[in-house]
Amino acid sequence: MAAVIAASAAELEMAHLLVSALSLEDVTAEGIDPDAPLFGTGVSSLGLDSIDALEIALSVEQKYGVELRADDQDSKRIFSSLRNLCAHVQSHRKT
Amino acid sequence: MPVLTRLPLITPDRPLRTVAWRGSRRVSQQQFLLDVYELSGRLPEATHALNLCEDRYHFMVAFAAVCLRGQTNLLPPSQAVGIIGEIAVAYPGSYALGDTAAPDLPLRWMDVKDGAADERDVNLALSALSVPSLPADQVAALVFTSGSTGAPQAHAKTWRTLALTAPLAARRFLAAGSPAVNLVATVPPQHMYGLETTVMMALNGNCAAHAGRAFFPADLRAALQQVPAPRVLITTPVHLRACVAAALPFPPLQLVISATAPLDPELAAAAEVALGAPVHEIYGCTEAGSMASRRTVGAGVWTFYPGIRLSREGGVDLVHGRHLPAPVAVPDSLESLGKNRFRLRGRSADLLKLAGKRGSLVELTARLLRIPGVHDAVVFVPDPPAGGEARPAALVVAPGLSGAQILAALEGVVDAVFLPRPLIRLSRLPRNAVGKLPRATLLAELERRRA
Repeated sequence: MAAVIAASAAELEMAHLLVSALSLEDVTAEGIDPDAPLFGTGVSSLGLDSIDALEIALSVEQKYGVELRADDQDSKRIFSSLRNLCAHVQSHRKT
Repeated sequence: MPVLTRLPLITPDRPLRTVAWRGSRRVSQQQFLLDVYELSGRLPEATHALNLCEDRYHFMVAFAAVCLRGQTNLLPPSQAVGIIGEIAVAYPGSYALGDTAAPDLPLRWMDVKDGAADERDVNLALSALSVPSLPADQVAALVFTSGSTGAPQAHAKTWRTLALTAPLAARRFLAAGSPAVNLVATVPPQHMYGLETTVMMALNGNCAAHAGRAFFPADLRAALQQVPAPRVLITTPVHLRACVAAALPFPPLQLVISATAPLDPELAAAAEVALGAPVHEIYGCTEAGSMASRRTVGAGVWTFYPGIRLSREGGVDLVHGRHLPAPVAVPDSLESLGKNRFRLRGRSADLLKLAGKRGSLVELTARLLRIPGVHDAVVFVPDPPAGGEARPAALVVAPGLSGAQILAALEGVVDAVFLPRPLIRLSRLPRNAVGKLPRATLLAELERRRA
């Protein structure tokens, strides 16, 4: 198994946002592997779906003032993991 | 009226009409036909092609090119690799057309962007390209639904059915002689509702479809800003909820259309305020396509599209129309009110009979959703135990409420026999890509919680 690169403070904050926005009951913010896929049915995936993506976009916009877009060329990469989502938001945040 | 044996691919004699928007760049009918002929010439010999294009313009070109070659489009219910794989296996010799990375499958893959007229600036010859016609009985598409058993189920759509439904919808929603409408949609073109309301409305309903994959409220706003008025938004209750919550300033809209799931009247009213346009729902099913509409805020009565009528035979509601190869059994219980109007009593599968009482699962679900603190909910009936009657079960998303509190809120308004048992609280409902809740998924969730 690949070594897990520990979550940064910003990533942990994003993980808390996911847990609260999606009311994840069986997952803690600290328990989310920053490199694990957010979507899909893989074993390591958080198993989110497109409706969750809508919720994430709303919360990210409210907290960071960053609008997420599906027609962004990079949208699949941005949503591929907590780490990539966080990096995108940090580099675009206004608040 | 004579039965037409061939029908044009696209409205004839309008070479300069706008059929699509790629960002803020308009695509004329002439340009579209050029792209269709170009792609059609490159397609391999086959009988079926999986059309997986995510860009709506790529999808339109691929869809038309496949039809022009006398082939059938296979339209999967989602882009999940497992589902695409199952369909590919069921149609040996088929190939796939796409505009993203090829899925990791043993599949003949063709990228529609290769060589397509995509970004090139074409100086069109002044002589218009001829508009091809297609055999009316050609199966243009097999539209797949997830199906209650889990295996994708195919619904054949002839060119006649698709080509003749679009003008019916256009007559319902677009005033005669009004300027062409620009459509922005959150629904994928592979879905029956998306295919009918965007692709077919662009080909045969005098509309132009925005090519973008509008999904998040910010996408929607950007896409709407890229097209001129009049703008129509084609969406679902889930996306409407997100738009209302996002509270973004949207460009003026002429109309909002919702389908795929019942729209709560309170959400419809909030969406009308937030988006500044009337919200209408389309009623339809994958078997028969769209057939009726209503403005959600108001009477709750549906009106059939012109030329569609209902009959009742052997306890089953049948819908008739010149565009349908045969009368289609409606999977819901409709109460005819005469003059092409009806009330939806509930999905037949949703009709609840317990201890001699009749209830509606749609209504039960709506009552749950009205409880403050309930974010999402669904009520369904599990398979009955041997010799017994199954009671409705509920899956509820309500982070701040206990099961007992939710049941207490229902007690006053719902007959005791219909109180959900079990009522399971969870963090989110297992909705699929278009926001639906397939029965198999609900049963699996119930099983998992009971285990």
